[in-house]
Amino acid sequence: MALVSKSKSGRVVEERTPQSKASGGSSLVARIRRNIWGYVFVSPWVLLYLVFGLYPLLLSFYLTFFNYSFVRPQDEAFTGIGNWVRGITDGLFWFALFNIVYNQVIFIVLKNGLGLLIALGLKRITKGGRIFRTIYFMPVITSPVVLVLVGAYIVSPDGPLQSLFLQAGIMKTPVFWKFADWLPMPVIALINSWKWFGVSTIILLAGLYGIDPTLYEASSLDGATSWQKFRYITWSLLRPQLFFLLVVDLINGLQMFSEVYALGYDVYGGPNHQALTPVMYVYAQAFDRSNVGYSSALGLILAGVIAIVTLIQFKFVSSDTTSGD
Amino acid sequence: MQASISRVEPKARRGPTLSSIAIYGLLIFGAIVVIYPFFYMVMNSLKPGPEILHSPNSLPTEITISGYQGAFERLNMFLLFRNSLIIAVSVTVLNTFLSALAAYAIAKIPFPGRDKLFAFMLTTMMIPTVLFLIPTYVMMYRIGWVGQFYALIIPSAVSIYNIFLLRQFIASIPNELIEATRLDGGSEFVIFFQLIVPLSRPVLATVAILSFMGSWNDFLGPLLYLNKPETWTVQLGLYQFQSSIPGQFEQEKWAAMTLVTLPLVVIYFIMQEQFVKAFANTSLK
Repeated sequence: MALVSKSKSGRVVEERTPQSKASGGSSLVARIRRNIWGYVFVSPWVLLYLVFGLYPLLLSFYLTFFNYSFVRPQDEAFTGIGNWVRGITDGLFWFALFNIVYNQVIFIVLKNGLGLLIALGLKRITKGGRIFRTIYFMPVITSPVVLVLVGAYIVSPDGPLQSLFLQAGIMKTPVFWKFADWLPMPVIALINSWKWFGVSTIILLAGLYGIDPTLYEASSLDGATSWQKFRYITWSLLRPQLFFLLVVDLINGLQMFSEVYALGYDVYGGPNHQALTPVMYVYAQAFDRSNVGYSSALGLILAGVIAIVTLIQFKFVSSDTTSGD
Repeated sequence: MQASISRVEPKARRGPTLSSIAIYGLLIFGAIVVIYPFFYMVMNSLKPGPEILHSPNSLPTEITISGYQGAFERLNMFLLFRNSLIIAVSVTVLNTFLSALAAYAIAKIPFPGRDKLFAFMLTTMMIPTVLFLIPTYVMMYRIGWVGQFYALIIPSAVSIYNIFLLRQFIASIPNELIEATRLDGGSEFVIFFQLIVPLSRPVLATVAILSFMGSWNDFLGPLLYLNKPETWTVQLGLYQFQSSIPGQFEQEKWAAMTLVTLPLVVIYFIMQEQFVKAFANTSLK
C-alpha cells in the first residue's frame, strides 16, 4: 500500500478501497501479480545492461592492469598501474585531445551560432517556415560517412568551393587541406557544423517560442535597444537550451571517430597526426598495436576527462545563472 | 543581424519591409548551402565516369544511369542493403518493443525498487560510450560474435534514451483508462497491447525512427565487428570503395552514396514531424 500511494495513482487506489475490502485477498494477489509483470517488463533492460554495460565496464577496469593481446591471449601479464602511468604521460594521446578540443571549439561556436541565427530568422517569418525547417534538417538524418565524403569533395582542391575562391581571387593556389598540419580539424568542424546546425535551430526555436512576447513589448516601452533586448531577454532566457546543446555537443564531440576515419585518414590521423582524435588513438592501440590493456586505460582516462569537462560546465553555468541574473 | 530584425517590430504591419527581405534572403541562402551538397552528389552520380574526374563541378553533358547499374553489379549494393536492412530492422523492432515494455512498467506499475531503478538508468546515460568500445569487443571476441550480426543487434535491443522518451509519454495516459481495463480482467500484457501501444503510436514512431537511423548510419560498430566483405553494411561498404584505388569506380561511388542516402530521406519526407520531435524532445528534460 505504501508503495502504491507513492505513485500518481494514489487517488485511484483510494476509490477502490471499499471494493478491495470486500475482496482483500485477491487484491493483494492482483497487486503482487502486477508487480511481477513490472519486473518481467524491465528485465530485458536489466539483463542486457548487466551483460553489455556493467560487465564490460568492470572488464575494462580489470584489463588496464594487464598486458593483453587479441592475438596472444595466453601471454596476459600483470603490469600494475603501468598502463595508467603510460597513458597519463603519452604525449600523442594528449596531442589527440588537443586536436579534438581545437575542433570542438570551432564546431560548437559555428554550429550553435548558425543554429541561433537561423532560429531567430525562422521566428520572424510568417510564411515558409516549415519548408525551411525541412531543408535545414536534411543533413541531420543523413549518414555521417556520406556527408563527410561529399563535404570533403566540395572543399577539395578541385571541388566547387575552392574553384569559386580561385576564380574570385580570394585564393591564389588550391589548398591541400587534408595534408596540412592545422587545417583538417577546422575543415572537419565546418563540415560537421553544416551537418548538425539543424538540431540547434530546432531546439533554440522551441526556446524562442517559449519566451513571453510581452517582455519584448515592455522593454521597448522602457526604450531598450535591439542589442539590449537580445542580450538581456533572448540570450538569458535561451540559456537552458544553449547549456543543454553545449553539454551534449562536448560529450559527443570529444568521442569523434567516424567522421575523421571515413575521410580516409589512417588510425593515427595522417603522417603528422594532424587529424588524430582520442578515440582513434584508443582504437589504434587496441586493434593496430594490440595493446588492449593500454587501450582500456586510455578509454578510461578519456572518460575521466569528459566527466571533468561536464562537471565544470554544470558548475560554471549553474553559478553563472544564480549570480548573473 | 539582430538589430535589423528588431527594428521591424513596431512597424511590422507595413508588409514586406527591407529587413524581412533580408531575413528571407538569409534563410534562402542557408537553404541553398544545405541543399547544394545533395545536389552535387546526385549530379555526379548521373555523369559518365570520365567526366566526374575531369569536370566534377559542372552539370553533366549527358545523363546516364550506368553508375547505378554498376553499383549493383560491381559493388554488391544488393548484399550491402540486405545486411544493413537485417541489422537495422531487427534493432528497430526489438528496441521499440522492449523499450516500450520497460517504459510502461516504469511509468505505470509501482513495483518495489522502481524509482531506484529509474534513477540508476538515468545515471548510466551519462557514461561516455568510448568506455564500452574495447571491453565489449574483448567480450564479443571471447564468445565468438565477432563477424556476426548479433554483435550489433543484441547490445542495441533496448535503450535507456528510448525508455526515457516513452516513459514521459506513457506517464501522461490517464490511470483511469488503465484501471478500467484492469477491472475488466485484462492482464498487464493486454493493457500494454490494447491500450498503451495504440495510444503511444506517435512516440513509438519517433523511437522507431531514432533506432533505425542510428543503426543504418552506424559506422564504428560494423567497422569493429563485420570483418568479412559478405557481412559489410552500406556504410562500411561505402568506406571500403572510397579507400580502394582512387579514380576507379568513380561513377559507382557517387551512385552508391546517393543510394545509401535515399531510404532515410524518403522516410524523412513521409514522417518529418516524428524526426524533428525525436531531436526536439531531447531538450525537454
